[in-house]
Amino acid sequence: MKKLLQPIMMPHWLQDFLFTIPRVVCGYLLTTDFGAAKFGLPWSPSDNNLGFFEVAFWFPNDVAAYGGIFALFPAFFAWMGAFSEAVGGLFLLFGFQTRIASFLILCTMLVAVFMQQFSNGLWNMLPALGFLWVSLFTTVLGSSRFGIDFLLSKKYYNENI
Amino acid sequence: MKIYKMLIISLMAAVLASCVQKSYERTVIFTLDVSKVKNIKAVGLRGEGKPLSWENDLAMKAIKKDSLYTVSVTAVTGYKFVDVKFVVNGEFELQNKSNRRVFFNENGITNYDAVFNSEKK
Repeated sequence: MKKLLQPIMMPHWLQDFLFTIPRVVCGYLLTTDFGAAKFGLPWSPSDNNLGFFEVAFWFPNDVAAYGGIFALFPAFFAWMGAFSEAVGGLFLLFGFQTRIASFLILCTMLVAVFMQQFSNGLWNMLPALGFLWVSLFTTVLGSSRFGIDFLLSKKYYNENI
Repeated sequence: MKIYKMLIISLMAAVLASCVQKSYERTVIFTLDVSKVKNIKAVGLRGEGKPLSWENDLAMKAIKKDSLYTVSVTAVTGYKFVDVKFVVNGEFELQNKSNRRVFFNENGITNYDAVFNSEKK
């Protein structure tokens, strides 16, 4: 658990700070926009009529259209995808359980790129690709110095020496 | 062990399936008064969500030629309203103004009467 929490830190805090910027921006966009539009959170648009932790009615239909295993469990994959964006994005924003959140976002973006947007051309793939690259780095590096994981791993370290 | 895993996955899939937003069949019957418009060739409806679109008209049929047109739209939706605009001869009404927001009746059938290019119903 500690290994999952503990970020890989850069030699200088400024390098960590620079790595934090894309993590915070992507987390913010995912949780407030992309995720909140299809997953019920307190800040989801009221027009979308979503209950708390509910996935939008249209999303399982979209997911089922990908075929294969997605057509077998469309509600499950839709919920997981929307949860990854909305709640995973929130965790990414604050650097909390960064690696787990990043891994979920990574899987969701792989599906978005290859199953949803691939046939629509590179331009339409760009948002998902952007999130994919950032989540790839944060899966490896963790939260950096500027995240809750850093504080938790420090506390964990102090308690176990 | 495998059976337990399968059971847990099936249970999770069942629980998550119940966390999908409820959707209902909603029908809106649009009736449009176009008596103030001249040289009418085509009257249509555009809006958000299938079977509507903002790119193509859903053709409206004449009840009274050059005066009153209608179309019925049915969709399964989780939303409480639909945003639409009427189009005559390919020209949108209410340009640079908000779309018409049509709230669904709880009984599933909504009648919406409008006058072209007029915000008053």
